[in-house]
Amino acid sequence: MMQKEYTKSFIKLGKFIIIFLIADLVLGVISKQLFFSQETGKYARANHAINKTDAKVLILGSSHAHRHYVPEVIEEELKVSCYNAGAEGQQLLYHAALQKMILKRTKPELLILNIDEDFLYYSKEAYDRLSDLHPYYSDHGDVLQPILGLQSKLVDFKLFFNAYQTNSTIMHVLRYYASPQIDYKGYRPLFGKIKPSVGSIDEKESDNKDKKGEIDQNFVTALHSFITTARDNNIKLVFVTSPTYKPVDHSTNESFTHIKAIAEKEKVPFLDYFNAGQFTSIPELFHDPSHLNDDGARLFTRDLAKQLKKSQN
Amino acid sequence: MLFNSFEFFFFLPIVFILYWFVVYNNIKLQNILLLIASYVFYGWWDWRFLSLIALSTLMDYTVGFRIHKAIDKQRKRRWLWVSVIFNLGLLGFFKYYNFFIESWIDLFASVGYEFTSTWTLKVILPVGISFYTFQTLSYSIDIYREKLQPTKDFVAFAAFVSFFPQLVAGPIERATNLLPQFLQKRTFTYKAFSYGIKLMIWGFFLKLVVADRAAIYVDAVYNNVENHDGLSFIAATVLFAFQIYGDFAGYSLIAIGTSKLFGFDLMTNFRRPYFAASVSEFWTRWHISLSTWFRDYLYIPLGGNRVAKPRWLFNLFITFLISGLWHGANWTFVAWGALNGFYLILEVLLFKKKRKGVVNVLLTFVLVNFAWVFFRANSIENAMHIISEICTVPGRLYIGSGDDITASLYATLAIAILVLVELKKEYFNTLFSISKHKFELVRMAGYAFLIYIILYFGVFGKSQFIYFQF
Repeated sequence: MMQKEYTKSFIKLGKFIIIFLIADLVLGVISKQLFFSQETGKYARANHAINKTDAKVLILGSSHAHRHYVPEVIEEELKVSCYNAGAEGQQLLYHAALQKMILKRTKPELLILNIDEDFLYYSKEAYDRLSDLHPYYSDHGDVLQPILGLQSKLVDFKLFFNAYQTNSTIMHVLRYYASPQIDYKGYRPLFGKIKPSVGSIDEKESDNKDKKGEIDQNFVTALHSFITTARDNNIKLVFVTSPTYKPVDHSTNESFTHIKAIAEKEKVPFLDYFNAGQFTSIPELFHDPSHLNDDGARLFTRDLAKQLKKSQN
Repeated sequence: MLFNSFEFFFFLPIVFILYWFVVYNNIKLQNILLLIASYVFYGWWDWRFLSLIALSTLMDYTVGFRIHKAIDKQRKRRWLWVSVIFNLGLLGFFKYYNFFIESWIDLFASVGYEFTSTWTLKVILPVGISFYTFQTLSYSIDIYREKLQPTKDFVAFAAFVSFFPQLVAGPIERATNLLPQFLQKRTFTYKAFSYGIKLMIWGFFLKLVVADRAAIYVDAVYNNVENHDGLSFIAATVLFAFQIYGDFAGYSLIAIGTSKLFGFDLMTNFRRPYFAASVSEFWTRWHISLSTWFRDYLYIPLGGNRVAKPRWLFNLFITFLISGLWHGANWTFVAWGALNGFYLILEVLLFKKKRKGVVNVLLTFVLVNFAWVFFRANSIENAMHIISEICTVPGRLYIGSGDDITASLYATLAIAILVLVELKKEYFNTLFSISKHKFELVRMAGYAFLIYIILYFGVFGKSQFIYFQF
């Protein structure tokens, strides 16, 4: 009697699994089609960087890259094509993965990595936000597996399902279909200026006191890997830090000093714009304490491009 | 181990296969397997606290016999007190000790006596302690009341106390219902297997899609009360109502579904609570296993409603006050319990007939939501601030920033699906139903689509279930 029930249950379970896998396949194809058809928004920019761009200068980094580097200005100054592949909130693991995916298809001449001072400190968000890479798993599993494996040991199993690969992307797709963004080759300007009262001396000091974290060895490895990958592909790599509104003292920031030491050891040029006099404390150039507005971004990019030009000559 | 972890995804089939294919014809071996599995399940979180469960098991197993064998009522009562003091002592130490010490310090500070405490302890709250202590306590009380015979089978009793599907967040089972199931042969049926899987799928939808999506907006607002206005607090509170429902009812359904896979029937813990037309009805639909526990072991022993009216009202109030405290060692929970007690007193005083209709359902929903403000707020001060903002400043509705906007939209969509499904079950149950459709393909496709929705819209960050902290 029980034998009959077992058999019945397993046959039905088998049928159910097959139906689910078919649904996952069909709906997954549709959702991927929608995902890769986006023309604006953060995923569209990543898609463009991975699958389309053949720009000679590529910019990677977090929101500081995304909001501070104006490709149009770099193109004017250096006379080469440029694309900004910066992504809001993303950190080293993401940038290392993005770099590898891009380099599978195209070889730019110059890679600029915008450095955030806390890049090497452990951050849960840095791991959580790797989910933005899931839609690329089918095509770039070889590159993504080691990085996504840091987020979850069962990455292969989870990403076997098409539904999980495009988890939570539909609203994003619909949102940018309904209200598309203007594309500035990956750059997204911020407008408006910061209130001069923001970022007093007291705030600055307390900020510095609060900045303590633990160095995450996975992030250190990602930075080394980023440098090695660029070198193996004969691509010039430059590290840049963006200006901040408040003067900052990073001498006790372990993450930042570690990054500088790595750059020095690996002979990666490091252009440090923290505390750059032409930006610091000028409210007309900032949107908020850590982001330049469009005017600030253009001024910064022009100055950087000139520095890069100088170093080329 | 969490139900919404990938470890559980492997743990469950392994235990299932061993249970039905390796030790299927021996109840004792099945119980041993369940006991080991339950200890692994719990120990995955922190193995050190397994000793507490073991101690609680040993204590109530022994006390159960002592009560049963005691020759007179007085001795029976004495042994019952041993169980009560032990279980509540365990709970009191791990859950309430620091809370009461700190509250006393605050009280003295408010009248000018400032002193630094050296009495507070660094203790971790063991997950599920409120649930398993209540479950074992009911065993001793039911033996005392002669509703139940103590079991000689220690393994069956230990498996009953630690049964992994409901160990950490209920439903709080009565020994009279669950223990006999450990003592009799369980048979595998396709019907139970299929029903169990269906319950689990719906439970995962409630947890991963409804609750965890809503949590993103709720946390953004409730954890930054200074930066939000009345409208945002209203939206966050309504979302919290669905978050806590999705979280807890989701857990209960997964627990009930998992138990069905092993041939056990647990009690229903939620019955569409937001369709209640009064607060008293709400409490017959919300966390039923706890409400009935308090009814049977506190409210009725206090005299229930078979006493003079003032005493009846007192009984109601004190029951809800203690129920609030059971939920957490914080004054916010006490206020939440007191508010619910107050609602019930008002209902007794103002309404003679059973209330019905949409208006009463909506009114009850508003009252319950008002109480949820205290439940979710991080402190009484925050709760008062939120209420004053709701009452005075509509302000601007926060819709989230960046990816939070889409999270709010997913939450709204998921809640709409939940409300429609429950609306249909509540009022139009005979209408079209995918789960009862005559074609198997339609039924299977419906559930396959639901799993797709969970994988596509769910939050997979190993988030805890809210009730684990209670």
